[in-house]
Amino acid sequence: MSSLEIFSPTDLNDALRFIEHDGRNAAVIASGTDLLPRMRRRQISPSILVDISSFTEDLRYIRQSDGTIRLGALTTVTNLLESPMFYGNLSIVREAAMLFGAPQVRNVATVGGNICSAASSEDLIPVFMALDAKLKLVSARGERTVPLKDFIVGKRQTAMKPSEILAEVSFSPPEGHGWTAYEKLGRRNMLILAIVNEALSLTLEDDVRTIRSARVALNRVSGKIPALAVKTNDFLKGRRVTDQTIAQAQKVLASELSLTSDFRGSGEYRAEVAQVYLRRLMERCTRQIGGHS
Amino acid sequence: MAKRAITINVNGTEHPLQVDAPDRLIDVLRDQLDLKSVKEGCSTGDCGICAVLVDGKLVNSCLMLAAQCDGRRVTSLEGLLEDPTMKRMQGSFIANNAAQCGFCTPAMLMASWDLARHSPEPSDEEIKVAISGILCRCTGYYQIIDSVREGCERGER
Repeated sequence: MSSLEIFSPTDLNDALRFIEHDGRNAAVIASGTDLLPRMRRRQISPSILVDISSFTEDLRYIRQSDGTIRLGALTTVTNLLESPMFYGNLSIVREAAMLFGAPQVRNVATVGGNICSAASSEDLIPVFMALDAKLKLVSARGERTVPLKDFIVGKRQTAMKPSEILAEVSFSPPEGHGWTAYEKLGRRNMLILAIVNEALSLTLEDDVRTIRSARVALNRVSGKIPALAVKTNDFLKGRRVTDQTIAQAQKVLASELSLTSDFRGSGEYRAEVAQVYLRRLMERCTRQIGGHS
Repeated sequence: MAKRAITINVNGTEHPLQVDAPDRLIDVLRDQLDLKSVKEGCSTGDCGICAVLVDGKLVNSCLMLAAQCDGRRVTSLEGLLEDPTMKRMQGSFIANNAAQCGFCTPAMLMASWDLARHSPEPSDEEIKVAISGILCRCTGYYQIIDSVREGCERGER
């Protein structure tokens, strides 16, 4: 880190103007809980850090309007836990936040940073994917909205340009007979990166039996890339929730996963856990929907 | 490389400091301000031994750049030595033999003090969550949990 410099912009526009011209060798830093260890391990070596951590007035908020929930990119994981918003059919966010790192990390780690890290270990990415989240990316030249599912394009790779900053994450709770749930497996309960984490947003038709939409997302679907389990979701749509449907969906899920092994767990083990979690998530969601109908 | 001038309020005193860009909060606290209760363990946010409060929130000082703390308020264990809650917590740690090698003790005390402020009668589950970010290498967690429970209980109720 010997030739490192820090640029502290006066406001968001100042930051955007700076990265418009000098974005290539710069890295935007919020809390730095992911960036700093990676710099220390020399996995990345930006020459300039653009510090946006003080723009909390512009980028730290949890708002709800017209059924859409909007999170400023600098919203911390602790902010999520303290919000009254993430109970009931959105308790998935709270569940993931509770299992995220540990208090010292949750107090500073941001929603935007977690998404932009785009790593298979990020706890919030599958959750926001299951919720079909949209991302607002801003630059000096304007803004655009990208679905999260199209934002992660590879291992630690995103569709964000060097001139852009993630400003907001937005999503809606599942409509009607819908529920969400989350499961995470690590070597211990706290302060651990996931071997598998899996999120589900499930909506049933008015008969409370037929699946209107199922969105399963995992921290790894192919290699180390967090993504939706597209084939499993297609398979589930329109079917009745039965033991047999779930058993078949588990097989579809296993067939679409292409997982690698590492020191945290083997690919085979991850695939096994992913299937167990699919059943658990389906059962948890249908039980809740049944109880609320 | 030019040094950057920042001011951090540490334990109630404003400290004008000169820092390099890569300097972390832990570097400034230990090396410039001689606050040795702040220990460096893993340097990657996994062990929590460097925990301090920044603007009242428990954070890992190894994961925060000093430059990002400009204008903020930092509290380390040294700043709480006269605090009644901290004194009670320390007494409880001593009475329950919560320190084995002692390396994690300052961070455990910071996390416990932070918990006691928010939750005067925590459940064991709350205590476990509160200290979950701090690794005790001796694995003497049960004495620590007992200490935190007692340290909180004797609070002003």
